[in-house]
Amino acid sequence: MAQCVQSVQELVQDSFVPMVAVLCSEEAERVTRKNNLNFAELLRPFCRLTSEGHIRDPSNQVQLVKNLRICVNNVVTSPNPACAAFSPAQRRLLNEVVSSCQPQEGAATNVITAGDYDLNFSDHCVKASVPWYSAWRQTLSEVSTSKHYTATTPWFEAYRENFLQTMAASEHEFLNHYLACLLVVSSTETVPVEQFLKLSQEQHRIQHSGDYTNPKWFIPNTLKYYVLLHDMGEGGEQRADAVYEDMKQRYGHQGCYLLKVNSRSSSAEDDEQMPDPWSQYLHRSNMQNQVSAALIVGLIVCGVLWNNGPCVVMGTPSTGLEGHPLQLDTASSPGSLHALSAEQPELKKGGRDPESLVGAAGSHGACLTLNDHDHIRQFIQEFTFRGLLPHIEKNIRQLNDQLVSRKGLSRSLFTATKKWFGGGKVPEKGVSEPKSTCGLLYPPEAPELQIRKMADLCFLVQHYELAYSCYHTAKKDFLSDQAMLYAAGALEMAAVSAFLQAGAPRPYPTHYMDTAIQTYRDVCKIMDVFITVKQSSFVPTSFIPLYVQDSDLRSALLLEQAAHCFINMRNPMVRKFAFHMILAGHRFSKAGQRRHALRCYCQAMQVYKQRGWSLAEDHINFTIGRQSFTLSQPENAVTAFRQILTNDSRQTATQQGAFLREYLYVYKSVVGGNEDRLPQLPLPCIHSSATRVYFGHERRLAEGEKQAATHVSLDQEYDQDLAAMWGHLEEQLVAAANRGIVPASFQPTQCCLNSQTDNLRRPLAVAEEPIIVEVTFRNPLKVPLALSNLKLLWKFTAEGASPSEETAGEAITNEESLTEGTDTVVTTQIILEFLMGPEETKMARLQLLPRRTGQLSIVGVVYNLAAAPCAETQAVDFMLVRGRQDLKIQGPRLNQTKEDKMLVRHGLDRRLDPIITPPMPLMEVFFLQFPTALLCGEIRKAYVEFCNVSAVALCGLRVASTHPDFFTFGSQGTTPLTPVSPTSAENCSAYKTVTRPPGSVASEMLVSAGDFSQPSGVMDIPIDGGTLLPGESTQLPLWLRGPDHEGVHEINFLFYYQSTEKGTQISHRVLRHTVFICASRSLSVQASACRSSVPPHHRLDDGGGGTLVFVDVENINTSEGGVREFHIVQVSSSSQRWRLHRRINPASDRDCKLTSRERAKLCFRATRCRPPPAASDAAEKYTFADVNLGNERIISSSTPCGDFFFRGCRSPESHRVGGTASRTSSSSRIQEGRAADISSIVKKCNELDLHIIVIWKAYVVEDNKQLILEGQLHVALQTLGKEVTSLTPKEEAQEMVLLKFKPEAPAPVAPPSAELSQLIKTNLHYPETHSHPFVQESLCVVPVTLTLSNCSSAPVDVLIDLRHKSPSPESVEVHGSFTWVGRTQYKLQLEPQQVLCVTLRACFLQAGVYNLNTPRVFAKPTQQAAVCETSQQAASPALIIINNA
Amino acid sequence: MSGSFYFVMVGHQDNPVFEMEFLPAGKPESKDDHRHLNQFIAHAALDLVDENMWLSNNMYLKTVDKFNEWFVSAFVTAGHILCTALDSSLYGIKNFFNDVYDLYIKFAMNPFYEINAPIRSTAFERKVQFLGKKHLLS
Repeated sequence: MAQCVQSVQELVQDSFVPMVAVLCSEEAERVTRKNNLNFAELLRPFCRLTSEGHIRDPSNQVQLVKNLRICVNNVVTSPNPACAAFSPAQRRLLNEVVSSCQPQEGAATNVITAGDYDLNFSDHCVKASVPWYSAWRQTLSEVSTSKHYTATTPWFEAYRENFLQTMAASEHEFLNHYLACLLVVSSTETVPVEQFLKLSQEQHRIQHSGDYTNPKWFIPNTLKYYVLLHDMGEGGEQRADAVYEDMKQRYGHQGCYLLKVNSRSSSAEDDEQMPDPWSQYLHRSNMQNQVSAALIVGLIVCGVLWNNGPCVVMGTPSTGLEGHPLQLDTASSPGSLHALSAEQPELKKGGRDPESLVGAAGSHGACLTLNDHDHIRQFIQEFTFRGLLPHIEKNIRQLNDQLVSRKGLSRSLFTATKKWFGGGKVPEKGVSEPKSTCGLLYPPEAPELQIRKMADLCFLVQHYELAYSCYHTAKKDFLSDQAMLYAAGALEMAAVSAFLQAGAPRPYPTHYMDTAIQTYRDVCKIMDVFITVKQSSFVPTSFIPLYVQDSDLRSALLLEQAAHCFINMRNPMVRKFAFHMILAGHRFSKAGQRRHALRCYCQAMQVYKQRGWSLAEDHINFTIGRQSFTLSQPENAVTAFRQILTNDSRQTATQQGAFLREYLYVYKSVVGGNEDRLPQLPLPCIHSSATRVYFGHERRLAEGEKQAATHVSLDQEYDQDLAAMWGHLEEQLVAAANRGIVPASFQPTQCCLNSQTDNLRRPLAVAEEPIIVEVTFRNPLKVPLALSNLKLLWKFTAEGASPSEETAGEAITNEESLTEGTDTVVTTQIILEFLMGPEETKMARLQLLPRRTGQLSIVGVVYNLAAAPCAETQAVDFMLVRGRQDLKIQGPRLNQTKEDKMLVRHGLDRRLDPIITPPMPLMEVFFLQFPTALLCGEIRKAYVEFCNVSAVALCGLRVASTHPDFFTFGSQGTTPLTPVSPTSAENCSAYKTVTRPPGSVASEMLVSAGDFSQPSGVMDIPIDGGTLLPGESTQLPLWLRGPDHEGVHEINFLFYYQSTEKGTQISHRVLRHTVFICASRSLSVQASACRSSVPPHHRLDDGGGGTLVFVDVENINTSEGGVREFHIVQVSSSSQRWRLHRRINPASDRDCKLTSRERAKLCFRATRCRPPPAASDAAEKYTFADVNLGNERIISSSTPCGDFFFRGCRSPESHRVGGTASRTSSSSRIQEGRAADISSIVKKCNELDLHIIVIWKAYVVEDNKQLILEGQLHVALQTLGKEVTSLTPKEEAQEMVLLKFKPEAPAPVAPPSAELSQLIKTNLHYPETHSHPFVQESLCVVPVTLTLSNCSSAPVDVLIDLRHKSPSPESVEVHGSFTWVGRTQYKLQLEPQQVLCVTLRACFLQAGVYNLNTPRVFAKPTQQAAVCETSQQAASPALIIINNA
Repeated sequence: MSGSFYFVMVGHQDNPVFEMEFLPAGKPESKDDHRHLNQFIAHAALDLVDENMWLSNNMYLKTVDKFNEWFVSAFVTAGHILCTALDSSLYGIKNFFNDVYDLYIKFAMNPFYEINAPIRSTAFERKVQFLGKKHLLS
């Protein structure tokens, strides 16, 4: 129950008051008319008695009557039997009352908190459909604590009041039957007494003739009270007094009164302010006049005491058994809004009417002074206390006597006789309805009704105790008679009087009321709406039987009250409340009360909102939308419809289609023709953070033969690792361009911005280059959508540096469609049609072309939205609305500081706010004859073309790559004169060759490494002049070498260029290119080197000592590509200190052909280089030695062979240290610094550092054409004795290492014996056979030369020991038979690279074969301590044959 | 709504976790205007479920509310997920509740399922459908 102004007690008391009729003579009427009032109206403000009255009950107890009110009404007769159903006029009236009473806007909100729901009443309905939860949560506390409640549903009270007044009298109750009649005659009448007589007769006629069923009279002998009205303004007071005296004589002084009014002339003293107590009764009385039956009967109001407040439950049994015409039902749910809009004006007119009624009434009581007011008040008091109350008292007494007299008979006997004779009461059934459902009907004067009459009388004079017992008795009687309607009435009244009893000796008889209601409903079927709330302990259950036959309005009002009941319970039932509000709203809308309906729905919405009851929510939103629209609140309608569409809808496709159409219609009517301010559209959803921005032209992928650089495109997915890789490459490039220093402000170029890129700064865009924004749209509906004229909205602020222009510094925008000339600033591309299927996510790429410099910000998109035409409906859809959606991109969530982590904070995202910079150069790169598959190590020549497509010259062209060893542009000076244009280069070798017969001896060339090597992975691109003028293009050859590892390789190029102008905002630009190369296996090269033990006379010219190089080449091509065979064309070497000298293979296999899985072994001798001239930078000079096996010698020192050699030998290092080659030099320096260290000396001694380049040709059959492919493989021989292969061994899976809990004991520092043994090379020179006549001479002495050569670069001390040291038995056995003679121990010092010969003598005793290799040589570096002395093991046996001659 | 049946599980914030309508075999799609009415009635009954569940030791609360010809039966799980069913005929509803409760417990054991979140599992749906056919529509 909503808050009401009156308490229940007051309400009930005021509803059941003694009714007094008024009959006026015409003269008297004229007198009162002066005040613009009739007599009844004149009295009305004074009808409440201020003093207490007394009444004696039948047992002579004095009963106090407090605060009594009487109701005075003019007698209006109606001949027809009263129709309980309201006449249309009454209905309209009630409708108006309700619709004119609306909640005040902006009134203090009334918030109720129930569980986790907060409900807000009397708030403007707009807010119900928008998320304002939190907003009023704050106001919650203050409001809920304040006790200042006003009525929350004033319309209900207005309705109730009017309803009660317009209720027709009912047969079974007497409460609003007239008790008395005032007969009013004016003193100006010629013979007032005659007039009184006439009126009296009139009254009698009305009451008793039977012509009129209305009004109804309580008791046959109605109290007549004679009132002489005297107009003071007309004088004749004497006469009036005389008449009054006469009246007193005639009617007794208790039965008449002289009322003097109009003491003031109407014209005089206008300025005096008189209170106007009539105004508040005014429009009520107006209505009274319209309504035919002004009697109030049969209202039942019962109060139910809640613990926290009274609750009024109202039922309205109407006696109309004739059926209830449903004439007033307005078209409540029109089929479409088109119809609704037509109804609007009508509705408005209706709403105004009550106001005009009020306004029409003038001032009242103009002729009355305050004295007159007092007179009237006195009159009422006199009438009540002298006339009415004694009359009532008398009647009660009478009735009581009758009852007491009847009590002589026992109740049962009494009823029994009735049954037997059946005459005492004639059970009158309704004539028209023979089988009346209400049981039997009594005639009005039936004796059974006496007790009920008495009860009603007692009730009226507030003697509730007596009333209760009378009702109680009456109830029993009626029940035993099966007069159900009467019984129900008595029950109700019994309950009410029990409720009103002050002392409450008995608990409220809830069951009485329930039974009454049940009876009304089940037996009588006359309930319109009945609501009861049953209270049992603290768990109220409720049921609301709805029998709505008649009035939607009434049911709506009562449902709303029921809803309020639920919310005001101790444990508020919010959800019940919401449901009943919905029901009420539904009824309201059926009754045409749109405003109330809307309010109900809005209030209910608070409960359903955002909880996932989507169907319910949709229904509510839809209703809110429609009602708001008809109430000309289209904005709210739009919001509500928007909710339906944007919520996760579970509606069917057709339903959604309908919603969409309604939304579009409403929306269109809101926007109208006003296109300037485009409102936001809810559909389709934009996934803002997925928006991508791309700067630059869309790339052409290929142009004829040319293959364009891939660069960046919107089609690519963003990859964090890739972005880092490109960023790294760019950093290298920038460093290279800035002499190795990366500027602090360096920021990698981002062409395509998305949610993962760094969007903290405003991106830089270039004028005259397009900006493409990819917007992700999602259609949440199951119906297709058609967008058209889709374009971007932007704001542009020109650069302040252009003072000549007026618009400088002022924002230009294309948001207003009428703004002209925006195309000169930024050209906006329009997508004419963009269809979206059901539940589709689709990207739209929208393009802008900025033409001037300044700051651009992309605000949103604008488009026409329409439901896509279905296949079935060919009709053109007119529902096309134009609207916009903003692109609001939230930056990434911050997660740096603690505060960031605690709160949800988002960073900046400026990807839509580019700064437009002046034009920049723009380069395009094309590749020609670029292969996709290569053999490992294959050399291929391709061409690359650079085009400057902009109007600005560019320079500083560079390229960086993830695989710098993959390609080369050739080096200056060594570039062979190959044809520049690719067309003439058919099948031409990539190498620079010289015809030369195959020979075993190498030809050499000395090349400086500086010619080839680049400082880092960055390569300068050698274009002519270093700049590319606008529109110019240049073609360069490019050599590629297949990667050494098989498989697919992703090779990334990053081209760098910059403007020739200095100081541009964008310092440089880059262009990306990615290729995928499939490398397949070709040859595997294994190489090893060992120290040759060539006899000294052979190597005299070699300076230091020879090294043998063995190269094993195997064809490991799996030959699915049609590779026939490989020819090894040439083997070259490159080193700073060594060179291949000659081939020492057996002469038979000159040409080296390898078919599949064949293997060839090549042997070479390498020698030390001639010492380079001292002047030149020895360290940087490389000696290239070529040993060609075919007819041509390939100059390995020139491009491309040399280039790839240098790239190839650097790359492993650079790979190891992460791409920067800076550390290699430092490490070598450290090595030099420790030159003294023994191991390094030893290492140096073994160091070879010889690079072998194997150049091959492969004969491939492809498309029936024989192709010759060339390639080269590199092997770096670092140390002697170690085998190296061109194939890097496959990365073996990391072996499981045993987990060790004990740290391993550090490995003992092993003496570097193996290395030390390499310090000195020993050679024994002796004749292989020696004949000696042992017969002649028993001792044979053979001279043997021991050659010692120092391999290291440090002086070495050498100790030669010839003594047999460890004569183990078997060794004695083998070579114990000869002995060294002469000096058996030598101590020598060898300078670096020095060769020394020591002549020894061996002495043999007999013929045989001897192993001479027994001398033990110890060597140690001179600087080192003696500890490191190590034996130089002579490995192989040196055999000598001694013959006996 | 003769013979048709509406089942809803409601989470702690009065949010529907799982909804399903059961229609007798002969009947085609239910009319749209009934679908939201189902929600309204079930939602309104929650007030009474809240009250009744403290008065009983049983999880099954029998019929808690009634609106015109619809009867609302309720079942409260140990985790205070309310199951409400709307039906005009009440045979087998207790068994249905128990079986669905079993099913729900199994589903809720899934560590990736967050309590109170709407259940979007076709398997769950299929099983409830089956239980509905078994207990209610047969």
